[in-house]
Amino acid sequence: MTIADTGYVCRYCRQPSDPSGTSCPRCGAPIDVTAVVSRSGWMKQPAIKDMARIQFGQSHVQIEGRQVPTADFALAAGDSIYFGHHTMLWLDPATRLQAMSMAGGWKRMIAGLPVIMTQATGPGHIALSDDHAGEIVALPLNVGQQIWVREHRFLAASGNLTYGFEANNIWITTGSGNDAKTTYPLGWIGDRFSAQNNAALLLLHAPGNTFVRDLAQGESILIQPTALLYRDLSVQAHLHIEYPRTQGFFSMFNRFSYRHVWLRLTGPGRVAMQSVFEREEESEQITGISPATEQRW
Amino acid sequence: MDRIECQWCHSQNDATLTTCDVCGAPLDVKDLVSESGWKEAPRLRDMTEFKFSISTCQVEGHVVPVAEMNLGAQDWVYFEHHVLLWKDQGTPLSQMATPGGVKRSFAGMPHIISVAQGPGRIAFSRDAPGEMVVLPLHPGMELDVREHAFLVASGAISYSYVRIKGLANIVHGGTGMFMDRFVTAGVPGLLILHGYGDVMERTLAPGEKVLVEPGGFLYKDSTVQMQAVQLPLKTGMFGRSMYLAEMTGPGRVGIQSMYQHHAAGE
Repeated sequence: MTIADTGYVCRYCRQPSDPSGTSCPRCGAPIDVTAVVSRSGWMKQPAIKDMARIQFGQSHVQIEGRQVPTADFALAAGDSIYFGHHTMLWLDPATRLQAMSMAGGWKRMIAGLPVIMTQATGPGHIALSDDHAGEIVALPLNVGQQIWVREHRFLAASGNLTYGFEANNIWITTGSGNDAKTTYPLGWIGDRFSAQNNAALLLLHAPGNTFVRDLAQGESILIQPTALLYRDLSVQAHLHIEYPRTQGFFSMFNRFSYRHVWLRLTGPGRVAMQSVFEREEESEQITGISPATEQRW
Repeated sequence: MDRIECQWCHSQNDATLTTCDVCGAPLDVKDLVSESGWKEAPRLRDMTEFKFSISTCQVEGHVVPVAEMNLGAQDWVYFEHHVLLWKDQGTPLSQMATPGGVKRSFAGMPHIISVAQGPGRIAFSRDAPGEMVVLPLHPGMELDVREHAFLVASGAISYSYVRIKGLANIVHGGTGMFMDRFVTAGVPGLLILHGYGDVMERTLAPGEKVLVEPGGFLYKDSTVQMQAVQLPLKTGMFGRSMYLAEMTGPGRVGIQSMYQHHAAGE
């Protein structure tokens, strides 16, 4: 009986899976746990069990550790993965490494993203880890499936997964004249991965814990922009600015503004967020903004 | 009488114990070894207590664990002063000057090591999520530890440092100019490290090699040779060379999964 024949679908990676083991062979999520869903509808993605194995092609990856997990790849002959070189923890001398140059190198350098990806080809072992306490999230992608991922969250992808990136077009300008400053709450660039000819595997590293939810058609939610981990391409994202009611002392300063910058996500589709996010540093008055909604209390 | 061997430090324990009396590792869990041969350092249970000499150490917490020591009257421990979390008022502190103080200052290493003398209680912790790695050292053992990774050591262990040899190793190795060296002479001692993230250990056979990101290196037996090697790979817009630390056996190598990449190249 093949995996497709079991009729079981993993509730985390949404792919046909095998319920007879202890973890999903495609994404490593535990099989034997009850879904933990908050009252507001966020499902906590359980951490991949220590030493769980995830299969892709003729190769597999073993997830080791719990605080800052390591992805330990056993690459079969001819199979490959690509990754940012700064995540490489160790490798067998036999594993072949080569550079995979990226289009748009200048843009990527300005955006602080790796200009050159590293490709490792089997046979051999190689292990990757990130530098934050958190979880590894495995996303198996079927043929034709695409996913958007926030910058710097990508850990590794199987060699048959197509990688692209695009400007997020989400920005805020504060100040004016020579003091004008543009910031990108979601990052300047987002990563886009698509499985074109074969099923493929994508690994992300999420600082903190990871939560997933499905937005219905037209359903909308506000989250911290840097908490977004990934989203289906069908989910729309734009800014929402919320001005709490102020009075007295603080309302006298019109150069600064007391506001919250949210990311509004509108369904349909799946979104995932991480519990660790960056605080917004900028508090000057907004003078320009990408398409956004606004609420003044 | 039945004995249980600790899978981490190989000490023999009474069969009634659930944690190793020498290093605190759980005794009733299977040894977690990856297919590629890396063994996970045992995650110590909260409030686990173990003995050294006539003193005890209790490990508290999971995220940034604390080592709380109850020192016997003749026992003492040494540590870098910034890892001290709290102490009893009556626990005496002193300083242990290390040789090569100026060299160590230039290398960013502490040139004065603090000493706490029993009897009394004292506790230590570092500043980021990670694991406490308990390494009981038997007589005659020599262990090299990455700079700033050691948390506390018992007085039975002698402390020195070794300069990393070779300009290429210093410039490209990413492990700094010095490594701490811990040696036991006639009696066993206790060494506790703090590894950032998860800690894994692998024992290399004679001549066996593994390439490790220098920032991930945590400790090694002194028999393991470490050499910076250049990879046939350029990184970044301007094509910087990439170096890894080649470890050659025989001996143990310990790595940590959370580190700052030493030369990102961008």
